[in-house]
This record gives sequence, C-alpha cells and structure tokens, in this order.
Amino acid sequence: MKSVLLVVFILTGVVGFCQTAEEILKGVIDKIDLVEDYQADVQIKAAIPFIKVPIAKATIYFKQKDKFKVESKGIAILPKQGMSDLTGFLSNEKKYSAVLGEAKTINEHKTRLISILPTDENSEIILAKVYISTSEDLIYRTVLTTKSSGTVSIDYEYNLNKKYGLPNKMTFMVDIKKFKMPKSVASDIRNNEKKKKYKENEKGTIVLTFSNYLVNKGISDEVFKKD
Amino acid sequence: MMLWKNTINELLKIATKIRSYIGIGALTLLILIVLFAMKADGKSYIGFVTASFEQTLSFNGKILNGNLIAFIIMQMLIVHVPLLISLVTGDLLSGEEASGTIRMLATKPISRSGIVLSKWIAATIYTLIMTVWLGFLSLFVAKWMFGTGDLIVLNSNGLLIIPEADLAWRFALALLIAFLALWTVATLSLAFSAFAKNSVGPIVSTMSVIILFTIIGTLDVSVFDAIKPYMFTTHMAAWRSVFEDPFPLSAIWESVIILVAHIAVLLGITLIRFNKKDITS
Repeated sequence: MKSVLLVVFILTGVVGFCQTAEEILKGVIDKIDLVEDYQADVQIKAAIPFIKVPIAKATIYFKQKDKFKVESKGIAILPKQGMSDLTGFLSNEKKYSAVLGEAKTINEHKTRLISILPTDENSEIILAKVYISTSEDLIYRTVLTTKSSGTVSIDYEYNLNKKYGLPNKMTFMVDIKKFKMPKSVASDIRNNEKKKKYKENEKGTIVLTFSNYLVNKGISDEVFKKD
Repeated sequence: MMLWKNTINELLKIATKIRSYIGIGALTLLILIVLFAMKADGKSYIGFVTASFEQTLSFNGKILNGNLIAFIIMQMLIVHVPLLISLVTGDLLSGEEASGTIRMLATKPISRSGIVLSKWIAATIYTLIMTVWLGFLSLFVAKWMFGTGDLIVLNSNGLLIIPEADLAWRFALALLIAFLALWTVATLSLAFSAFAKNSVGPIVSTMSVIILFTIIGTLDVSVFDAIKPYMFTTHMAAWRSVFEDPFPLSAIWESVIILVAHIAVLLGITLIRFNKKDITS
C-alpha cells in the first residue's frame, strides 16, 4: 500500500512538474472565467514619491470581459496597469505566447514563472512575468513591463475568494518619474527651505486591501456608464 | 463715541462712491468667469495638475470639485484683489484733500488721529467685506456648482491630497490670513494717501510697491535673501501654507506677526504724517 502511495505521489509530482506553460495558465484562466462580475470594497494605502495622500476607500466593479470601474467619494490613486487589464490580457490566449521558467517560492508559496510575450506589436504590455502556484492555480506575483508605465510589480495575497482567484490584498510597486513642477504653479513662500531630494526614478508602493466581495451577483451595465 | 460716529460716516462715504462697487463688481465678474471656465474646461486644468503622474497612476474620484475651484480662485485673485482694495483705501485721505473737504473734516470735534483711525477702521471693514465676498463666491458658489470633495494641492514638493473633512478650518484660516494680507495693503495705501494730494498717486504707488517687492521676492539672487523674509509681499501668500502637511504652524505665526507689524508701522506712519500735515494752506 505504502509503495502504491509513493508511486502516486511521485507521479503527481512529475506530472505537476511536466505541466506546460499553457496548461498552468489554463488553470488560472479557468478560475478567472468563473467570475462573471464582482464588486468589492477596497482600502488604498499609497506611499508614492512626490505625492502625499491619505488612506482612501473605494468600491470597485468588474464585469466580463473588460468593464472596470472605481467609485470613491474622495480622491483615490490606483496604478494604471495591473488592475483588470492583466486578467483580460491572459484570457485572450491568441494574443500572447507563454514560456515556462524557473520555480520560485514567494511568501511560502511554491510557484512557477511563466514569461508571457504579446504577439501584437501594439500591445501596451511588453513582457509579463507571472509566478503561478500550480497546486492552487493562483498568481502570487506579476512583473509587468509596459510601454508607457515602466515596470509594475504586483504581489497577491488570497483569503476567502481563492476559488475565484480574487485576492484580498495586492501590493503594487510602480516606477515614478521625477516630478517637474512649473515654478509659476508652485509658488512656495519659503523658497529657502531645504527640499527633499529625489532620484530621477523612484519606486512607489500602493497597497490595496479588498473586503466585502460580491461575486457573480450581477452588475448592471449602467454602473459602468456613470461618471 | 466720536470715533465710532466718524467711522460710520466714513463707511457711508465709501458706500456712496461708485469706485467702491468697482472692486466688488470686478471681483464678482472675475470669479464668475473662472467658475464658467472651470465648468467648461476644468478637466484640462486637472490634466495639467496630474500630468506628471498620468503615465503610471490613475486618479479616481471627484478631483474637480468646489474645494479645488475655491483654492484656484484664491490663488488667482489674491494677486489682483489688492488693486481693487487700494482703489478705495488709497482715496480715503487724499480724496478729502483733492476735494477740499479735509479742512471741514478737521473742524469736527475729533482729533486728527481720530480722523485717521476712523478712516483706517472703515478701510478695514471694506477689506473684510471684500474678503468675505471672495470667500463666499469661491467656496459656497463653487461648491454649489461643482459639489464637494478632497482637495488636491500642488506645491514644489509634488501633490498633496487633503481629505474633505480636514478642509473647512483650513479655508477659514486661509481666508483670515488672506484678510490680514489685504489689510496690510489697505493700510499701505492709506499711508500713501496721507502723503498725496490726489487718489491716483496712492493707488499707483501701492501697486508699484507690490509689484516691486513681488519681483524682488521671486528673484533667485542671494543679495536679497536677507530682506525677503521681512517684505510683506513674501507673506501675502502665507494662506497657501495652511494647505500644507505637516501644518507649518511656526511659519504661519511668523507671517502673521510680520503682517501685523507692517500694519502697525504703516498706521503709525499715517498718524504721524497726518498729524503734522499742513491742511490750512
């Protein structure tokens, strides 16, 4: 009995290791496809060079295939890339080719790297490195190299909505270009004070904490039309 | 008692002059034009504010709101309102001399210092009315037109977003400091008015001083560094500091003290000059 179990265990491991990039991605896409729509409350905590922003609260709405909206009473700053565009990009298998990469442990989760190269020359995403847990079919890290936004790194944490592949926390690391302010606009009265020196390009961190997910409850298209 | 009666008289004189309404009318028109422009094309202004970050970040929520419009209006008009104020306050003493009523005024049972003080109090009330009107139009009308929300402020360190709940006291304090700055200008033009025989001179002189000091203040030349902190024009923009984080309390106190000191010195000069002035020949 023990030897049978050992053989099954080894075979499962071998099969897992022998999965192709497409097969690993398919597991993730299948989870994404389970979600027709969702709504969630999100707390946004941003630490961005040149921007001082309080913690913001917002509600996000998503509906297949690519309807996405952020509704917030105050001003909420979100990364331009990596919110809903990545799942939309991954769902369209004809638009990219995937290459299996190294194994890596991210936050105690064993993942495989899949490098995704778009086939469309006009694609905003130049390269996406996606670290996927093959046992859970979940993305634990994404590093997006984009045309206009530089490199965006996203770490994911999951809790109650693992089965849908919806994270409860996303940590974005974004490139921030040096802020150039016209002197006429920024007339400070205390010009002589020493100002904080920033490098040419710095990293900003945006942490999104999701709660109160409502998945597949139906969202009207009207929600996405409002300003 | 006589000072109070004379102040009422001075306020009535201001109320009966057409030029007093030019300031309020021009201020109203300017604010309405800004409100119209923002309603028509405010989003491009927002684009200008957030342009440096647009490639990487998306700004969600109601950025173009009444609080931002009020801030923009205050920023635009604090430069021009002194001219509108000095139109009235620069005429208070010199206008009496030009029309020959100064002697009749001096025959009243009130000292020369009392005359100056009553005119100064009337100028103060007029400045206060202008500031309140500016605040009403920029805050209440803008909020009525654009709604409310968090305030996004630009300074040379980048962007600062102030939550809506933290704005009421900041705007009240900003208007109070703006009033103090305008009060300094009103007292300056009253001081010039004590030296002049017609009202054009004090108005032009006041604006010339503001322009000259502002240019010196913006010149990045170290030779002026020693005097810059003491020029009232440096502190006319002190209201903007109220919208900083961390709140620069000591810097704001410094500005308030310097503006009050200017008011006291300029009023003193006016009193000395008018008491020594030969109005009999």
